[in-house]
Amino acid sequence: MIRYAKPKNVDEALALLSDGPWRILAGGTDFYPALGNRPLSENVLDINGLSELRGIAEVGSHIVVGARTTWTDIIRRDLPAAFDGLKLAAREVGSVQIQNRASIAGNLCNASPAADGVPPLLTLGAEVELRSASLTRHLPLEDFILGNRRTALQPGEMVTAIRIPKSATAGTSAFVKLGARRYLVISIAMAAARIVVEDGIVAEAAVAVGSCSLVAKRLTGLEAALRGLPIGPALAETVAATSLPELAPIDDVRGTAEYRREAAREIVTRAVLAASGHHPLTKVAA
Amino acid sequence: MSSEIAFPSPQHRRHGSSAGQPLTRRDGVLKVTGRATYAADNHPEGMLYAVTAVSSIARGRVTALDVEAAKAHPGVVEVLTPANRPPLSHDPDDKIPPFGFRVEVLQDDTVRYVNQPIALVIAETLEAATEGAALLNPQYEVESARTGLENGERFDTPAVGVGAPSRTAYGDIDAGLAAAVRVTEADYVTPPQYHNAMEPHAVVAQWDGDRVTLDMPNQALALSCAAYAAYFGIPAGNVLIRSPFLGGGFGSKAILNGPQILAILAARMLDRPVKLALTRAQMYGPVGHRGQTWQKLRLGTDGEGRLTALHHHVLAATSSFDEFMEPAANASLPLYASPAILAEHDGLRLDTGTPGPMRAPGEASGSAVLEVAMDEAAIACGMDPLEFRLANYAETEPGTGKPFSSKSLRECYAEGAKRFGWSGRPLEPRRMRDENGFLVGWGMGTAVFHCPHFPAEARATLRADGTALVETAGADMGQGAWTALAQIAAEALGLDPDQVELHSGISSLPDGGIAGGSGHTASAGLALHNAGVDAIARLAELATADPASPLFGAGNIGVEARSGRLHRRDDEGRSESYSEILARAGQAEVVGTAKAARDPAVAEAHALFSHGAVFAEVKVDPDLGQVRVTRLVGAFAAGRIINPRLVRSQYFGGMIWGISFALQEEAVTDRRTGRIMNADLAEYHVPVNADVPSLDAILIPEDDPYVNPLGVKGVGEIGITGTVGAIANAVWHATGVRVRHFPIRLEDLLVNQRDVTSAFGN
Repeated sequence: MIRYAKPKNVDEALALLSDGPWRILAGGTDFYPALGNRPLSENVLDINGLSELRGIAEVGSHIVVGARTTWTDIIRRDLPAAFDGLKLAAREVGSVQIQNRASIAGNLCNASPAADGVPPLLTLGAEVELRSASLTRHLPLEDFILGNRRTALQPGEMVTAIRIPKSATAGTSAFVKLGARRYLVISIAMAAARIVVEDGIVAEAAVAVGSCSLVAKRLTGLEAALRGLPIGPALAETVAATSLPELAPIDDVRGTAEYRREAAREIVTRAVLAASGHHPLTKVAA
Repeated sequence: MSSEIAFPSPQHRRHGSSAGQPLTRRDGVLKVTGRATYAADNHPEGMLYAVTAVSSIARGRVTALDVEAAKAHPGVVEVLTPANRPPLSHDPDDKIPPFGFRVEVLQDDTVRYVNQPIALVIAETLEAATEGAALLNPQYEVESARTGLENGERFDTPAVGVGAPSRTAYGDIDAGLAAAVRVTEADYVTPPQYHNAMEPHAVVAQWDGDRVTLDMPNQALALSCAAYAAYFGIPAGNVLIRSPFLGGGFGSKAILNGPQILAILAARMLDRPVKLALTRAQMYGPVGHRGQTWQKLRLGTDGEGRLTALHHHVLAATSSFDEFMEPAANASLPLYASPAILAEHDGLRLDTGTPGPMRAPGEASGSAVLEVAMDEAAIACGMDPLEFRLANYAETEPGTGKPFSSKSLRECYAEGAKRFGWSGRPLEPRRMRDENGFLVGWGMGTAVFHCPHFPAEARATLRADGTALVETAGADMGQGAWTALAQIAAEALGLDPDQVELHSGISSLPDGGIAGGSGHTASAGLALHNAGVDAIARLAELATADPASPLFGAGNIGVEARSGRLHRRDDEGRSESYSEILARAGQAEVVGTAKAARDPAVAEAHALFSHGAVFAEVKVDPDLGQVRVTRLVGAFAAGRIINPRLVRSQYFGGMIWGISFALQEEAVTDRRTGRIMNADLAEYHVPVNADVPSLDAILIPEDDPYVNPLGVKGVGEIGITGTVGAIANAVWHATGVRVRHFPIRLEDLLVNQRDVTSAFGN
């Protein structure tokens, strides 16, 4: 017989987690589809009673997004322009109904290469707060998602928050999703960029691409190449000229690898230009 | 989206007040408030749940099933396998005419396609049945899956579609091609597509002795009763099908399928009601689909851009064990004038479920390709695509020379082009961009659909309170049949539609024919009309023979039925209400009945088609290949329009399906296993609202004195035809890239222009 528990606070949840293996149920929007027709075979820890895990707050040097914060919460919250990309991504996660239910931590724990939330969070330098009954640790997002459906979550641990260092919330960000229809679509590829402009020059650049590798990737080479460039055509030229070794796309139902490689560069260009206040081709969306 | 309703039309004025009104759906409130009871909503007491275990291989044999494990699961009542499946009275490998298909009902251990039922588990709960099916853990002897051109088995087929000839030739095609100044020749591919009706196939079966009641969504009640009767060895009258509401059918609910037959069989075997509802994934196999086609078009044209030859050759996929295939080449028969036309089909056997009719069967895939080929020929001739079509306008049916019962295609072209603004179109591609830098293209296509008429019966009862009950076993799949049929009946009865109660969707009512072929309004409508006329005639007999009636003696002059009263034809002032006539006659009601069918002489003498023209604008992202259909304008002429609101909705639905066909829909098969990789609505794409642009459907007035006494043609399927080609042609006009397979994918316009492999050699 499996167990079901709905703890009322985090300590209770962590105590239960230390007690044996559980599957954590938050918004349920990945949980139930993954279950399909099969009956539940694992203990279910329903964290929907943990109100302390929902919401966005400034805590010291970080902006802390509670694990259960929904995409709609993020969309509706007044946040610095560096979060614009995350908000754009939030609007592309499933449908509005999904956005009302699905949690930000769930998107990360599900570890889909096509998770729309990951690239913008990478550009925000996000780290994942993992807690167990005995330990709290903070992992950079890059070190949390290890592969397709694989994370660094240890037995007894749960994600309690996503922490964004305030130092990474400067500038403006953008997100571009490429899909085969306009809405309710799994991404062929997506790109996020956060650019800090000082005196017309790129002072800081953070660029990430999803759906073109097992795990969404920061494009560090490109970021370095963009730094110091004047805002203007040089940005697009640099994206066009810089090799993007991080991209390792595959052929699938949604698109060919060759197309992804080509299109990814284009949406990266658009995200970079949009984040730097440049919009040559405005109407791009899924 | 235009909301204005173009009426009253001339037809409306001619036919009085009931028909021609843009009434909203009678069943609309029930549906939007959740009170409409769909088949699977019925839960009779003691009901069991059935779940099919389905094959995960495309070809081979089931060598083992762990029936013990399934039966041991709590709640599981029975497991049906080939070893214990009770006998059926009809051989499932034998077809029942006219629309019968071979079905898989555990007659043996062979597997013919993925998702074929290989066992049926019946349990006290859905969960137990589902788990029981999972526990069967089938073992297979696997044979390689035949999935495409390279390994499918070709064969000559005598018939395509539902009994249409596979080869039709008019004139001398070789001479026509030889005489041509230029020949435009190309190969095209259309993909397998699945109906994906919102409501899955379901049945709740309940036996009472040798009588069975079936709650199931069904488009062909009388035919289905006869077929189920054959399978279960009972008279057709012992089968009662209740199908008041359908959540879409598109052809897939007109044909019997294995899972439903098995559930009915289980209900008899266990003597308890049994419910079965397919999952979305299970609908990719046993319930039909639009089969893949490979098509070659050869168009010969003379120096003036007139066709000298039109050769449409189709290789159409079907299953390994049945014959249905898309009659796609026949789309080239009724449309363009040419001294030589050859439409021919070959078959290709694949390890899939058998294809079946899917909204505009044959016409959708054939028209998609024909309209692209016409575009290519127009360009070759240096002509505007509309001008080219007008140069090849068929004044009579090509080939047969029969006059059209009516044809207003010229008006469709003119009105559509005007509304769209076609006249400003540059001939060359890649000439238009919008303010955001998107490539803009305009394309067009001709729409055509035939007008079948199914025999139907109806009953009309005038009641003492002056209202009426009209009855026919029709099917409302969401198209609004209840509403349009009630309007027709009301008109015949001289009543307001609100005074007419319509009973439909139950097989015990008079046979309403088939809701298919875009022929339901004409077929069931004519029966209702005739029944109404019959009821009024009987009422008139009562009145004109009654000395106490103001209508006494008007038998020869005649009476008119209007607003619930009979009026003496030559004297408006002399009239009497239906209630008064019935009351004086001491009758509670008067009943009219009718059978209606097409007059064969009319069909013999005329070509019967609806026509239309569709104009599309697309915008293409030059760097990503994303295509947005930004405008669609269709102009359609389909005889008399009973309800312009519903008709426009049907055209919109068809045009949206055209977007889907052109840009999105495709079942993708894993060539190693024969499995469909996108058997769900997340990855089998159909348009979302945001993909659907401004739509405009223009209703071109058309008076058809021949097609049937009502002058009604079909509107349900024509919207797809024309639209697919129009969009594909617009994509070419935007980009200069000619994509010859559907759907057009993003990468086709950027990096991966897939060559189409000819199925016919070169």
